[in-house]
Amino acid sequence: MSAGVNGATLVRPALAGRVGALEEFNASACMNCGVCTAVCPMGIEVLPRRLFRYVLLGMEDQVLEQIESIYSCLLCKMCEVNCPAGVHIAENVRSLRHHINRTVFGL
Amino acid sequence: MNDQIVTGSDPGAGADAGGRRIGVYVCQCGGNISDYVSVDDVVAAVKDEPGVVVARTAMFTCSDATQQEIINDIQDQGLDGIVVASCSPKLHTFTFREMSKRAGLNPYEYTQVNIREQCSWTHTDDKAGATGKAARLVRAGIARTSLTEPLEPIVVETVPNVVVIGGGIAGMRAALGLAEIGLAVFLVEKEAELGGWAAGFAEMYPHGRDGRDLVTRLEERIRRHPGITVFTDAEVVGKSGSFGKYEVGIQVGREQAEAPAPKTQPPGTPKPEISRPGMPQLGTPEPGAITVKAGSIVVATGFDSYEPQEGEFGYGLDGVLTLPEFKRLVDSSDGPLAYGGRPVRTIVYIYCVGSRQAEGNEYCSRYCCTAAIHSSLQVATRDAAPVSRYHLYRDIRSYGRYEPLYNESREKGDLYLRFPDEEPPVVAQASSGDGGGATTAKDGDAGHGYRLTVTTRDLLTDGAELLIPADLVVLVTGMVPRENDDLVKVLKLPVGNDGFFNEIHPKLRPVETVVDGVFICGACQGPKNSTEAVASGLAAVTQSASILKRGYAELDPLIAVVDPDTCEWCGLCLEACPYEAPRRVEQDQEAAGGADQEGVDHRGADADHRGADTDHRKMVAVIDRVACKGCGGCVPVCPRNAIDLLGYTDAQMRAMIDGLLQEPTPCRM
Ligand SMILES: Cc1cc2nc3c(=O)[nH]c(=O)nc-3n(C[C@H](O)[C@H](O)[C@H](O)COP(=O)(O)OP(=O)(O)OC[C@H]3O[C@@H](n4cnc5c(N)ncnc54)[C@H](O)[C@@H]3O)c2cc1C
Ligand code: SF4
Ligand code: SF4
Ligand code: SF4
Ligand code: SF4
Repeated sequence: MSAGVNGATLVRPALAGRVGALEEFNASACMNCGVCTAVCPMGIEVLPRRLFRYVLLGMEDQVLEQIESIYSCLLCKMCEVNCPAGVHIAENVRSLRHHINRTVFGL
Repeated sequence: MNDQIVTGSDPGAGADAGGRRIGVYVCQCGGNISDYVSVDDVVAAVKDEPGVVVARTAMFTCSDATQQEIINDIQDQGLDGIVVASCSPKLHTFTFREMSKRAGLNPYEYTQVNIREQCSWTHTDDKAGATGKAARLVRAGIARTSLTEPLEPIVVETVPNVVVIGGGIAGMRAALGLAEIGLAVFLVEKEAELGGWAAGFAEMYPHGRDGRDLVTRLEERIRRHPGITVFTDAEVVGKSGSFGKYEVGIQVGREQAEAPAPKTQPPGTPKPEISRPGMPQLGTPEPGAITVKAGSIVVATGFDSYEPQEGEFGYGLDGVLTLPEFKRLVDSSDGPLAYGGRPVRTIVYIYCVGSRQAEGNEYCSRYCCTAAIHSSLQVATRDAAPVSRYHLYRDIRSYGRYEPLYNESREKGDLYLRFPDEEPPVVAQASSGDGGGATTAKDGDAGHGYRLTVTTRDLLTDGAELLIPADLVVLVTGMVPRENDDLVKVLKLPVGNDGFFNEIHPKLRPVETVVDGVFICGACQGPKNSTEAVASGLAAVTQSASILKRGYAELDPLIAVVDPDTCEWCGLCLEACPYEAPRRVEQDQEAAGGADQEGVDHRGADADHRGADTDHRKMVAVIDRVACKGCGGCVPVCPRNAIDLLGYTDAQMRAMIDGLLQEPTPCRM
């Protein structure tokens, strides 16, 4: 699905748009500081820095590999209140779940 | 002042050094020195040197209190020479020269010895060695001081005119600043129009002001100002005379034959009334060469944009643009971005092109991160249809107040991908056949054929290798020095390894060059955005004013002098001198010049105009006191040993070497 040329993953900007408009899914504001990873009580390593980048770059396969993590998030917003870039992390997770619910689980 | 004080320990000692009475002050620098150099041992080692009547240590010699104590010593003990052993002469030579003046001592009777950078900071592992070295250096300083003579600064008259070369934003603002403080300005621009790069930009960061407007407004003020004469299509082609009164040759209308009349005055603006004394009478400049007198010259010749090699990041492919080309495209319309008749859906920016290279341009070009981000925001805020914007970068340097632009761009959806230095992105032409590649019909892109593909690794996404189909690839090109070899030759401008012009000191003397009265500002001295270029332009204004508003300037008298009896004019000194300071004159005239040297404002050139009888006269070298920088380059080449450098005479150098090598090593080892 995300295959590109010579093993490179093809970037598809439209995935992010389908997950949520910029106002809802504002992951691009992330500056990769890592605070969210450090404070997450669930120790969800991949959330949200890399996960969101998969979405932004349209790497759908990689997103789906992380379904486990995406659904173990408590939506506690510990990360969100600490994020220096104002990323609505928990809201973004919610948008992503909504997208997966629709497209993968047919809910 | 504390610790060991040795005063007049041996009244007879002074006699050995021609009756000199020297004070020696060894600084602790609050531990900076005394942690690694035993200052008491240094004092003990040198207190009995010939001529020394006071030797002591001080916690901070440069403090006001200690300076006052030294002044008291000079006056009470009748000191006629001072040695301060402390930090680099770059830091405090002037401090202690001024102190000497306040005490009534000639400032050139003072010697600075550096035992901090050269001893305590260098030999932190060897206190005894550092102490021994410090003692030797101080002894050499005492030896030099015992042979100093009072010298007077060379006073040079200055004319209140300035030639500003380069009419970009830096040169324009400098010209206006100079005129506003009452100096007459000749603004020389090579192109037909003023403004430089800024004249070609619409919206500029940080305030979104239109560059063309900015330039137009500046130009209006310049044209209106009676003190400024503008030469466009003009170049500086010659400089003669010496500091304070340079004669600057300006060629107006480069191709004399077909040159359009220089547009120095738009119709309706008043002609410059040039009537102040010392100012040349100029009407509207005619094409041709003219000469103006200038007390200082401000160089503001700007930069060029890096031109990528064919094939560098796909340069040469349709759709691969440099940053200036992209900026022009963005500025050229207010509507949705289109290129080659097609709407632009995806832009990939590649940063640091032509900058921060392992070999080549090592420097960061400073302006380009922010300029690229700013241009991208221009696109983001105006297009209704979303344009995907990928920034492939190494580091983002939107320093200082430009950080909010970077934040804003991320919030607006710009995506930043960090590529590894050793694996830069690869740009290729999209081929419709490469499967999922260039022309992706998915995701609402139906029918949108991309011109290009960019393959890159993103370190922020597990180092994943990504393929980005793109309409435009923007090479975020850096600044390079503008080709200006002729000007460099004419002005003898110092050029750095990177090809930009060099200031004397990046922090402390940021717009002065080693050529007296020649200042540099703007992007010709290194990458700068327009804010920084203008700030340095105004610094050049202040520096010019400081020498021109007084009507005279003082130069250090530490220059070369020729003994006319020994000199036989061979011309080797002239060949060795980077400033063409030695001149060939008849001995008699030289003698007249020599007498003059005690006075002020003598230039060797004057000697040429004395119409003395020329028969049977010996030709000798005389060194122009204003042109000479005291570099010493001529001293060793003279086959007859006729040249001495005041303040660093051969006798002084020999005495210093003897002092350095005097045995036994004075300290406990
Ligand atoms: C694409 C791009 C976008 C930019 N965007 C911004 C921005 O948004 N905000 C910002 O602050 N900065 C921006 N900059 C940087 C800005 O352009 C520079 O900081 C500024 O132009 C420097 O001004 P300057 O006067 O030093 O040099 P220049 O603008 O290069 O002007 C030098 C002038 O000297 C003249 N000259 C050269 N040699 C001679 C000679 N021998 N004799 C006579 N005249 C000579 C030239 O013709 C020119 O007119 C941008 C730069 C680029 C390339
Ligand atoms: S909201 Fe989710 S990702 Fe953020 S800290 Fe809580 S559990 Fe972790
Ligand atoms: S805390 Fe915010 S800015 Fe930092 S990595 Fe997480 S999402 Fe990004
Ligand atoms: S300012 Fe220019 S050279 Fe410096 S890091 Fe940014 S793009 Fe690279
Ligand atoms: S000291 Fe240097 S500047 Fe002075 S005349 Fe000699 S070579 Fe020229």
